[in-house]
Amino acid sequence: MTCPLCDILKTCCADPMKFLGDWFVLLPALVLLLAAGAAVVMRNLIHAALCLTLSFIALGIVFIALGAEFVGFVQLLVYVGAVAMVIVFAILLTKPERLTKSGSAFSGLGPAGGAAVGFVALVALLGFIFTSPLAKKPLPAPASAPVAAIGEALMGDYVVALIAIAVLLTAALVGAAVIAMEDKQP
Amino acid sequence: MNLIERAPIELLHWFLNLLGSFGVPQWILAIVSAVLIIGTVIGVFLGLFALMSVMERKILARAQNRYGPNRVGFFRWRLCGLFQPVADGIKMITKEDLVPRTADHVVHFLAPVVMLIPALLVLAILPYGRDMVPADLNAGILYFFAVGAGTEVAVFMAGWASNNKYSVLGGMRAIAQMISYEIPLVIAAIIAAMISGSLSLPAIVAAQGGFAWGFVPQWFVLTPWGFVACLLFYIAALAESNRSPFDLPEGESELVAGHLTEYSGFKYAIFFMAEYVGMFAVCGLLVTLFLGGWQAPLPFLVIVPSWCWFFGKVCFVAFTMVWVRATLPRLRIDHMLAFAWKFLLPMSFAAFLSAACWHYAGRGPLAWLLSLAIVGIPYLILGTAFSNRFAVSRRTYQFSE
Amino acid sequence: MTLQILLAISAILFAFGLAAVLSRSNSIMILIGIELMLGAANLNFITFWRFSENPSDLVGILFAIFSIAVAAAEAAVGLAIIILVHRRINSVEADDASNLKG
Repeated sequence: MTCPLCDILKTCCADPMKFLGDWFVLLPALVLLLAAGAAVVMRNLIHAALCLTLSFIALGIVFIALGAEFVGFVQLLVYVGAVAMVIVFAILLTKPERLTKSGSAFSGLGPAGGAAVGFVALVALLGFIFTSPLAKKPLPAPASAPVAAIGEALMGDYVVALIAIAVLLTAALVGAAVIAMEDKQP
Repeated sequence: MNLIERAPIELLHWFLNLLGSFGVPQWILAIVSAVLIIGTVIGVFLGLFALMSVMERKILARAQNRYGPNRVGFFRWRLCGLFQPVADGIKMITKEDLVPRTADHVVHFLAPVVMLIPALLVLAILPYGRDMVPADLNAGILYFFAVGAGTEVAVFMAGWASNNKYSVLGGMRAIAQMISYEIPLVIAAIIAAMISGSLSLPAIVAAQGGFAWGFVPQWFVLTPWGFVACLLFYIAALAESNRSPFDLPEGESELVAGHLTEYSGFKYAIFFMAEYVGMFAVCGLLVTLFLGGWQAPLPFLVIVPSWCWFFGKVCFVAFTMVWVRATLPRLRIDHMLAFAWKFLLPMSFAAFLSAACWHYAGRGPLAWLLSLAIVGIPYLILGTAFSNRFAVSRRTYQFSE
Repeated sequence: MTLQILLAISAILFAFGLAAVLSRSNSIMILIGIELMLGAANLNFITFWRFSENPSDLVGILFAIFSIAVAAAEAAVGLAIIILVHRRINSVEADDASNLKG
């Protein structure tokens, strides 16, 4: 009767790179879940935004570890460099009170209601995941998506989507600037 | 001298073979190799940082007609003050580390760390010499900018955690500046990547190889679009590193020290180090993208080792950055942001279009003229549109009677 | 490392985002929840790309890239709206924007 710990140690010492291969994905995923959980629960808004930034970084590292390096770097560049900064700027510009003093940080369904609905959704999703025959796939050989292939696909088959995204981003940028602009007193 | 050029790599291989002959397993050899390479790169750049901190003060001083620090040496030798970094380091370590009582201690502590980590991480993709790149990533330039986005998070953390109105204002201004100047920076880098056909930095250096007509190097800076892109990258790099003339967030006469107000002692030293290492990293990227990387400028100068050329060019670009600091006054925040959005952004698009036209017009003489026109006409138009020549009226004097 | 573990991680992330949207009162926290849900969907796409039989078909990666771009645009517009609403009613709580309440 071999103990599981001895098994883990044996695989570790035999070929540590393969053993670490799984943990390159699972460790950032763990950090991701912890940071996301912390971001959802925290009362201090800036701390929640910083935990969200940490979860974005962890998600980017998960993408890189899964072999989609381009998406991982784009995630870091766009989410951490832009979205997190915009969220932080909005928090600073609207200057909410530092900590909850009178009102509670939870409303709507309340903490219990929100957690219950989230839990029900999670149970439903996990039920689908662990009973579906489609999800019992083994890990294929490591895949790679070279940037040249992504570029050719974007400019080739998916050029309409690319141009649509460009128009969308321009419209969103101009719209956000117009919305947030101060009304000029005549 | 092929021997000197290959010396660092041959030394590493010899050491790894030595360890392998002792029966060390393969995975330990991989870890040892990685640690040695990382240690060498970080050691070289920290040494450059120490040298830069004293050389900047001396160059600034000479520009201002005075000597810089010229006393610190050891054992009665002055050594022209080149041991000043040692004295600065001892000072920084032994200074009292004050943290305001109402500051957010965790975030205040983590901000310097989060600032230094991206600055060190981006050193991994620069090609220091022929076949001497620590990590040859397929999307090298994208990695550089993705990791550099962490610097903005650190600036915000430093500004907000200090619980000080000057710090918050300084931090917000610094982030606005960094985000505004990131766009010309990225577009200028993409121009070089577009012409080379790859995002990988060794491929971009290789695309600048060879000599036209036997002696003219084919660096990107020697083309019209490349020159403009290099200048754009240089200006945006000055702004990204918060260096003068874009150092409003950390100038002493503005907002005390901005987001660095409440930092003293070793934490301030880490911010200082992160700024200089970031400056060297972005100088290294500029050299790689536009100045030919480790390539020699003339065919007979290939004798000099490739890593000597790389670090020589990086030091030259850093010297020009100090020179600019000594020469130009500081920009106001609204001037700074207007400069980025109204001048640099259209010029970067013009350079992009010019590079594409140069490539598709066949890279011949007509292509050179076309690209020069595409980049020169917007420059003239934008330059005259934003100059103050027509805004300042003739000076009139009024005297009391 | 199986497909199920990665899908379970993405499901947990989605559940966190859903709980944040439904239970927090600050509208910026609601936006944070939305971003977490979008991140979970992106993780699903990349996971299925990794486990697909022909990884040279880059649909999963391209969808994730487009999703990231759209999420950034949505975050910018959403936060601009939050700033505008704050200017009108001087509050970012979602419950305070109740002018149309019957």
